[in-house]
Order: sequence, then C-alpha cells, then structure tokens
Amino acid sequence: MDQSRRFTQVPGKYFLIMKIKLELFGASRDLSNKDFLELNLKNKSSIKDLREKIINYVDQKFKGNENLRKIIETSAFCSEDNNIISENYQIDKDQKIGIIPPIGGG
Amino acid sequence: MLHTKIVDLSKEKIKPENAEEFIASSKFGASIVFYGTVRENNENKKVTGITYDSHDDLVIKSFKEIYNEADQKLNIKEKSVYIEHVKGYVGLGEISIIIAVACPHRSEAYDLSRYIIEEIKKRSPIWKKEHYENKESEWLKGNPIQAN
Repeated sequence: MDQSRRFTQVPGKYFLIMKIKLELFGASRDLSNKDFLELNLKNKSSIKDLREKIINYVDQKFKGNENLRKIIETSAFCSEDNNIISENYQIDKDQKIGIIPPIGGG
Repeated sequence: MLHTKIVDLSKEKIKPENAEEFIASSKFGASIVFYGTVRENNENKKVTGITYDSHDDLVIKSFKEIYNEADQKLNIKEKSVYIEHVKGYVGLGEISIIIAVACPHRSEAYDLSRYIIEEIKKRSPIWKKEHYENKESEWLKGNPIQAN
C-alpha cells in the first residue's frame, strides 16, 4: 500500500483515508460520464458524511444544481453485500457503495 | 417455484414464450401473464422510448422477498411465478416487464399478480429515463427507498 496516498495531514493530525467507489444508478448517472465516482473520506465516516461529500461535489462541479442536490438528498445507499444501509453506517475500509435514487420502474 | 431475471437488452431479448412455458402445470387452474409496455404519452409529453436502469442484485433480491412474502401476506402457498424486467432502451409498445403467475384458483392468481407489480413499483431499484419527440429526455421522479 502506498502510505503517502492513504493518509492526509490536517493541522498536525493524520487521518486514514478511505477510498470509496460510488456506483451510480438512475438519475445519479448524471454526476459522471462513468458508471461511478471515486471519493476519499476520512476513516469512520458515516453515510451522512458521504452524502455531504457528494453534495459538495455537486456544488463544485455542477454549480449547486438544485435537481442533482435534491436527488442526492433523497437517495438511499447500498453496501457491497446488497443491503440498504442507514445514515449512521460506518465506513471503515475501502469499499464500493451504490447510490439508490428514488425508484420508479416496472 | 420462482424464476427471476434482469434482461440486458444490449445482449439479449425478452422472450414472452418462456414465461408461459415456465408456469405451465396441470397443478394450477389459473394463469395470468402481465406485460408492462412503453406507452406513447406521459403527462402530456410525446414519448418515443424509455431507457431502464437497474441495480441488478438488489432487484433480484427484492423479487425473491416479494415472492416469499406472498406466502404470509396473501396466504398463497402453491404458486409458480416468473418475473423478468429489462434494462436498456425500450421502444414504444415493447415489453419492459413480464410477471407470469399460476395458482390453483383464479382469485389467488389475480391477487398475486397485482401484489407483485405493486410491490415492485414500491421497492425494486429500477429507474426510467423517458425520451421525447423533441429529442429531450429526463429521469422520472420516483419514490425514495428507506433503510430498515
């Protein structure tokens, strides 16, 4: 593991960085030309933190596009083992997480 | 007996004849095959087609849960169920979903078929992007899924 990539220093403190591959579905596909986004989060971040990170991404890359913001705010998230995870779910390793916007198929 | 599948239209076609073959049995006196198809109008917009997106693993998981719940909620023990949903681009009049059910009696078959499609609408992570005559397209607004 390349340790220099895995830690970040913020005013004298070191944080282990978790690499999240956010798999995109439905309306969230408008966030990227790829099927996923790669995001870095501090160790033991929660889904709430991940949601805030994605909203920051929308603010920076899409000038705070209201539709995209609303989609992120109302999305659920799914773990690698295909469970819908709660807002308090702790992210303590590199992993894939799926974003599940409001659904309406059939 | 249950069959579930997401049919990726970039690789294969959905085949209605497979559904009837799967549920055919002399144990059952009632069979219903439901097709969802793409219609030409939605909220006063001329639709030319729909692109379906799916979280395949979660969708299959939800289909199995819905099938198993029918035992408790509808008290239908004897049944054969075939569910296929497509992903990819679907043109006007083409099939997006097949739900085929067979039960001993017609009331059970009607109840089960209706239950499955309504639950899929509420719970299965499937998304629609509508394409319009003016070349524009948009993801349809849906219902948020809640964590348990």
